[in-house]
Amino acid sequence: MNDKVFNISSNPHVRSKLTTSSVMLGVVVSLLPAALFGIFHFGLRAFLIIAASVITAVLTEFIFDLIAKRPNTVKDGSAVVTGLLLALSLSPSVPLYIPIIGSIFGILFVKCFFGGLGKNFMNPALAARCFLLISFGTAMTTFKVDGVSSATPLADLAAGSTVKLSQIYLGYSNSVIGGSAIALLIGGLLLWVMNGITWEIPTATLVVFSLFIALFGGQGFSVPFILTHICAGGILMGAFFMATDPATSPMTSSGQLVFGAIVGLLAGLFRLFGSSSDSVSYAIILSNLFVPFIDKICIPKPLGYYGGRRNAKNIRIPRQAVNLLVITAVAGFGLAGVYSITKDKIEEQKLQASAASYKEVLPEAENFSYNEDIKAAVDALDGQPYDTAAYGRTFINDVVVGEAADGSVVGYVFDVSSADGFDGTITLALGMQADGTLTGISFTELNETAGMGMRADEPEFKDQFAGKNADQLVLIKSGGASGDNEINSVSGASVTSTAVLNAVNTALAFYAENVQ
Amino acid sequence: MSLKTFRGGVHPEEKKELSVGKPIEVYLPKGDLVFPLNQHIGKPAKPVVAKGDKVLAGQLIAEADGFVSANIVSSCSGTVKAIEERKLGTGAKATCIVIENDGNFTLQEGIGVEKDPDSLSNDEILAAIKKAGIVGMGGAGFPTNVKLMPKNPDNIEYIIANGCECEPYITCDDELMKKHARQIVIAMKLLMQLFENAAGVIAIEDNKPTAIEAMRGVCAKEKGLSVMPVQTKYPEGGERNLISVVTGRNLKGGQLPAELGCLVCNVASLYAIYRACCLNEPLMDRLVTVSGEGVANPHNMLVKLGTSMAELVEAAGGAAPGKEIKKVLSGGPMMGIPLISLDTPLCKNNNAITVFAEDPVEQAQLQMTACFRCGRCQQACPIGLVPQLMANAAERGDLDYYEKKLYGLDCFQCGSCTFVCPAKRPLMQTFKQAKAAIMAAKRK
Repeated sequence: MNDKVFNISSNPHVRSKLTTSSVMLGVVVSLLPAALFGIFHFGLRAFLIIAASVITAVLTEFIFDLIAKRPNTVKDGSAVVTGLLLALSLSPSVPLYIPIIGSIFGILFVKCFFGGLGKNFMNPALAARCFLLISFGTAMTTFKVDGVSSATPLADLAAGSTVKLSQIYLGYSNSVIGGSAIALLIGGLLLWVMNGITWEIPTATLVVFSLFIALFGGQGFSVPFILTHICAGGILMGAFFMATDPATSPMTSSGQLVFGAIVGLLAGLFRLFGSSSDSVSYAIILSNLFVPFIDKICIPKPLGYYGGRRNAKNIRIPRQAVNLLVITAVAGFGLAGVYSITKDKIEEQKLQASAASYKEVLPEAENFSYNEDIKAAVDALDGQPYDTAAYGRTFINDVVVGEAADGSVVGYVFDVSSADGFDGTITLALGMQADGTLTGISFTELNETAGMGMRADEPEFKDQFAGKNADQLVLIKSGGASGDNEINSVSGASVTSTAVLNAVNTALAFYAENVQ
Repeated sequence: MSLKTFRGGVHPEEKKELSVGKPIEVYLPKGDLVFPLNQHIGKPAKPVVAKGDKVLAGQLIAEADGFVSANIVSSCSGTVKAIEERKLGTGAKATCIVIENDGNFTLQEGIGVEKDPDSLSNDEILAAIKKAGIVGMGGAGFPTNVKLMPKNPDNIEYIIANGCECEPYITCDDELMKKHARQIVIAMKLLMQLFENAAGVIAIEDNKPTAIEAMRGVCAKEKGLSVMPVQTKYPEGGERNLISVVTGRNLKGGQLPAELGCLVCNVASLYAIYRACCLNEPLMDRLVTVSGEGVANPHNMLVKLGTSMAELVEAAGGAAPGKEIKKVLSGGPMMGIPLISLDTPLCKNNNAITVFAEDPVEQAQLQMTACFRCGRCQQACPIGLVPQLMANAAERGDLDYYEKKLYGLDCFQCGSCTFVCPAKRPLMQTFKQAKAAIMAAKRK
């Protein structure tokens, strides 16, 4: 026995059972509730998207390793996690090429090109989602259930309508595949119990986000309002599964708190004041850029170098980190403040610019002004479709009050648009007398087919609206309209005519609800 | 109420059941006994015998050379065969006194004469400890008499008996506390006599209920002396962590416990102190755990110092049936030192021999992936370092950042980070290399 040389190595000589793949498996298991719920609710389509995304992610990494002559890293399971996360953040109605392109982008450009596992500086799934959002905006933001497109809960919320919280909790509402708040919550807690994530990032993110919504959401500390914002729009998935991605979040406890706070702040800022349909994804990938800096400043002092409290938790946020947070907060809140202050000014100018076209449809008015209540109702829509079920994608852009020289109200002008034109968006101004009688329409944006849809701008169609007074107008496609609520379609351009009618009817519905 | 513990740490499989509770074998060596002169921290001892001399068991064969050094006594009777440089199992070379064992173990006169512990003066206690050549027997090997002479003895407020034994596999301290609780308490009382302002605390992990009971039974009537069960977690017995848990005082790296009014003494050292002071027995033998999956009959043995480890592994039945020994550790699996060969003597600070038939490190290397920054190393570090950033800094050669900003030299190499790492990164190895590089640069 003595002539044999034994193995030598540095201590420790035993290792835990944990491996990279078992950690990744933990993440996949915690995403299963959300994935299964998505498949259960949205059906085969959701399953196909998940499968396409995961398989593409794994294949991309495999092929990259092969071409780059690197050791095969597929078995660590991180590509599966990326693919799954991406799929869960997609609408169930996206075409299958979307998850495939996304997975390739995320794995290849964001992960592999930066050195693979642990070296990427942005969450690959989120970077892919943002890439898709920018590249395929329409497909990414259309939510169709059983072929009927409808508004997302956030759009509903912005439109001032009551959102059924229970639906969002369960994930029944129109959202992404992994949109079930309760399933995400269960998965997140499961992951936390399995020590797959720490409490710091989700807590800091959600607390700061809620605070921001409460402070600037315009509804104060309204619990249902805040809960809806938390349950919808991906902040739960972001807080539990995306921001916590170990490769792109800080190492230390204090760093994670700072990071979570930045994510929450940016998500709140983008959600309330941003113009994009997504806030959380951008918030997280932007925050990812802070991570190397946070890692550099949030280094905890080891035992013996800080106050001698017994078993003191080593959470001490260094001054630089506080500074970083303060700067972000000041910038965020400052931006929000400046926006609120200048908002009226900007609108004043906008109003003057539009006055000419408004005058065309409501000639009796000497000047135009805003009514605060109506204005608030328009703002509450927040640029979201008014009622997708009834009118498709129509938007109330502006509503102004027309006043006579003596200041008495003579009527209203509605600036409305429909995104369902044959060739894009149709925007028009609709004039209405104080008693609800229409005075006419005027197109400010019309790009329909010449000789077909464009004929909507001819008097034959346009002039039909003046003098009508009805709750809703009806389009008569066969011609021969006679009733007070009937409009003849432009022959051969029913899509255009329908879009115009929908826009006008949206204005009428808005009038009935908020003005009358 | 949950027991006290520290932040961080890990829970390796304990594997103490392999050896715990089994009868303790008193093993008498057959071959030559080898005594390295540097088996303690400090200057190597100076031989006081020459080749060909006859020695008796308990006879001084090398004396402390300078302040931080320790005596070495023979543990058998026989003839000095050689004083020569030998290669030890760790691969290091050391001057050793080799004694040809005559097999009689004839004791030197006067050893074993009982003394009343209450009759000893402070100077007598210190002299007895120094004469016996006692060092920290938990692994450190720091001369105990030096530890017991701090600059300001009046400032010492805590004497902590370390009975945590947080390393997996090892059970010798457990067995010692079960069997010799009274003697350990007498030794604690002797130390408390040296330091009038100090309270005595015996810290034991709660996975040793019998030992806790035994120690409590003896302590019950003693004033100022208490047993403190602590949570079972590695490295609960690490000096900095133990002091923090027991006293709430936190040592910086490189700080001595005495600077914060603490003294930590392993229970095996305490038992040796009892024997030195009350039985006039120098440090000739110790309890050793021979355990691990690679050995047929894991158990504790009372072993003469200087015995070849090969003999001890044979005494434990040799390799487990059908298995081949792949790795041998002097100590436990977390901080133990791997041995190239078993042809090496048992030293004062060797508390265990752990024998593996499978090398977990070899398996871990197959599972190694890139670091994905999960942060488990940082959660596991018992002193609050950030191993992931340390490894990054060390790998890119930024040793200044490693040392100054990341407190890299505070790492006491407990191995928790490396144990827990799912990517199986060789963190500990990187840190050892970084430390060596920094130390080398400093010596220049």
